[in-house]
Amino acid sequence: MKRSLVGGFIVFMFLLAGISFAGAAPDKIVIGHPACLSGKFAKAGEQAVGGIKACVEWVNTTYGGVEIGGKKVPLDYKYYDCESKKEAVTSLIGRLVSVDKVNVVFAPYSSGLTLRGAPVTESRQMLYMDHGGASNEIFQQGFRYVVQTIGPATSYHEGTLDMIHKIAPDDKKVALAYEDSEFAKMVMLGAKEHAKKLGFEVVFERTYPKGVTDLTPLLSALKASKPDFVLGGGHFEDGQLFNRQMADLDINTNGLSLIAAATLPAFYKALTTMAEGVMGPSHWEYGVKYSAEEAKAAGLPWIGPSQEEFMALFKKHTSEDMLPDYHAAEAGAQVLAYVLGVQKANAIDSTKVRDALGSLKFMSFYGGWDVDDSGLQVGHTMVDVQWQDGKRVIVWPKAAQTGKVCYPMPTFQEKAKGVKAVPK
Amino acid sequence: MFFEQLGGNLIQGVVLGAVYGMATMGLSLIFGVLKVVNVGHGAFIMVGAFVTLFLFSSLGISPIIAIPVAFMVGMGLGFIFYYTTIRKLIKAPELATLLATFSIGVLLEELIKLIFGSEFRGYNWAVGKIDLGITVLPMSKLYACIGSILIAVLLFLWFKKTRAGSAVRSVVEDSEGARVCGINVGGAYALSFSLGIGLTVASGVLLTMFIPVGINPYMGGGYTLKAFVIAVLGGLSSPYGAFFGGLVFGLIENGSYTLFAYIPGVEPFALTRFLSFVILLVILLIRPTGILSAK
Repeated sequence: MKRSLVGGFIVFMFLLAGISFAGAAPDKIVIGHPACLSGKFAKAGEQAVGGIKACVEWVNTTYGGVEIGGKKVPLDYKYYDCESKKEAVTSLIGRLVSVDKVNVVFAPYSSGLTLRGAPVTESRQMLYMDHGGASNEIFQQGFRYVVQTIGPATSYHEGTLDMIHKIAPDDKKVALAYEDSEFAKMVMLGAKEHAKKLGFEVVFERTYPKGVTDLTPLLSALKASKPDFVLGGGHFEDGQLFNRQMADLDINTNGLSLIAAATLPAFYKALTTMAEGVMGPSHWEYGVKYSAEEAKAAGLPWIGPSQEEFMALFKKHTSEDMLPDYHAAEAGAQVLAYVLGVQKANAIDSTKVRDALGSLKFMSFYGGWDVDDSGLQVGHTMVDVQWQDGKRVIVWPKAAQTGKVCYPMPTFQEKAKGVKAVPK
Repeated sequence: MFFEQLGGNLIQGVVLGAVYGMATMGLSLIFGVLKVVNVGHGAFIMVGAFVTLFLFSSLGISPIIAIPVAFMVGMGLGFIFYYTTIRKLIKAPELATLLATFSIGVLLEELIKLIFGSEFRGYNWAVGKIDLGITVLPMSKLYACIGSILIAVLLFLWFKKTRAGSAVRSVVEDSEGARVCGINVGGAYALSFSLGIGLTVASGVLLTMFIPVGINPYMGGGYTLKAFVIAVLGGLSSPYGAFFGGLVFGLIENGSYTLFAYIPGVEPFALTRFLSFVILLVILLIRPTGILSAK
């Protein structure tokens, strides 16, 4: 009897110790990230790391840390270069989880790399936050621990099509030419469905392989289909090539919108006047006014730095000359979502945080955030930008406009003579 | 419409093929003389692209002037890498030279990234266009094509008409015999490697004249793969075969696109690649040394 009492007491003490251990807040919360710091996504990866560092600093200093069980806990950010390679992503996630004991994994850039890492985190029941993989396919696999901050690919061109439908109702013929990648295919699938809904006629649709170095044959065929406007691209490299070779072949259309490429400053730097009037959908642009007041008006909680604060922190962690683009903003916003998720769950356990994220809605400098049951982002609205006189102008939606759209854009012959895209 | 598109694409294919051919000659020359497979080939093309970008964007120097500058830069790099790395590995197993050239490629990529950053860059060299009715040909592309042909002819003349060229040819024929005849075999190896790298770096200039965007430290990967296909097609140890292989490759890529585009339900681009490799396999079955290679 006495022996069983002692045994029971020991078991009780162990359980108590276990409970108090589980409830205790950790000394720090570690974010793990296989980042694309070299390879083909190096530019986007550099932006993402800068955005994450900026928001981690904001959380640790201005916000005072992540509140768990009444205690403020700082964030720590651990990242390795995955070289934009799929095999490196899987091995680095294994290392981050097993060796570095991270509490959450941030996905690398691009849909392909994100998708590659998802089964690894899923098998470890580790929360996997996606800021650079827009393909809807990621969320059609039944993964439970993947949560998206970037908007879904199928919605990329909805705004562009809505805009053209409104400002040029006679332009009905659209050509789709895009990279044979998960992301671009999803974007164009969404674009095609939306185009049909609005009464557009898809007069040309073809893909081109990744790493293409010459688009001349495809663009010659596209020219023959005489479209009113073109939706194209895939990633940055082929987007540059697409625009350049349309100029070389004198393929003039009223509008050209390129995904992923046209919104980046390097696009105009490389193409200069040839990029005038070219449009692109973007998740975020400097100038989009999301604020605590707007969040209040929308009935959403607000968290994070203001646009200017984010800009300053980003520059501090990258360089003075570098401006954040949407890759930085969505990666930064992901930090904020994770912080709110942990606070709502009052725990760092991946399952609990995932559940909390499922019912979370908020606004930050990046805009709205809300995910559906599959983890797909449904609370964020995209904007359309256009290059006008060397500057990116937000032309759609009207609520976010920083300038009017120039449509039709000047011809390539006009651009070669220095004509700029000026709205009428 | 069909013949118009086919004609236009074939013209573009010849122009592109000439540049592809030129971009492969260095690879074939190095293999032909030293039996070294340069898997860092694309990285040297990338160096040429950055030489052009730097000269044009920072100093306003025309890409045409960049060709000899890049060639000299390439020769310099060739000598450095030959005497520091390749010389010691010539008699080593193939894997050693493969790893060495791969490492050189990675080194160059990271060095360029350190200096210029990882951004995709481009430049605008506006020298007009020719409207041929069935297609539009930018003058920069035409200059790149003419430059490629000119360099191929100069290389041919160098091999045939100069003592150094004859020495290299004799080393290719029989290195021991050449040594017995008093030829500096080591010097011929060094010269051939440097010349091969010089040609490769210069081809980077021509490629950017053809496509002046997408310049970035990792741009070479795709060109390395294409260069290997072209080199095998033309004859891995023959620089002229490589040039000819480039022309064939360019014509297949562009010409077959138009044909495949008329097959409903297929993506023509994917099929052009498929066809390129089918032709490569057929040629290798009929003539395993490539189209123009010596025995």
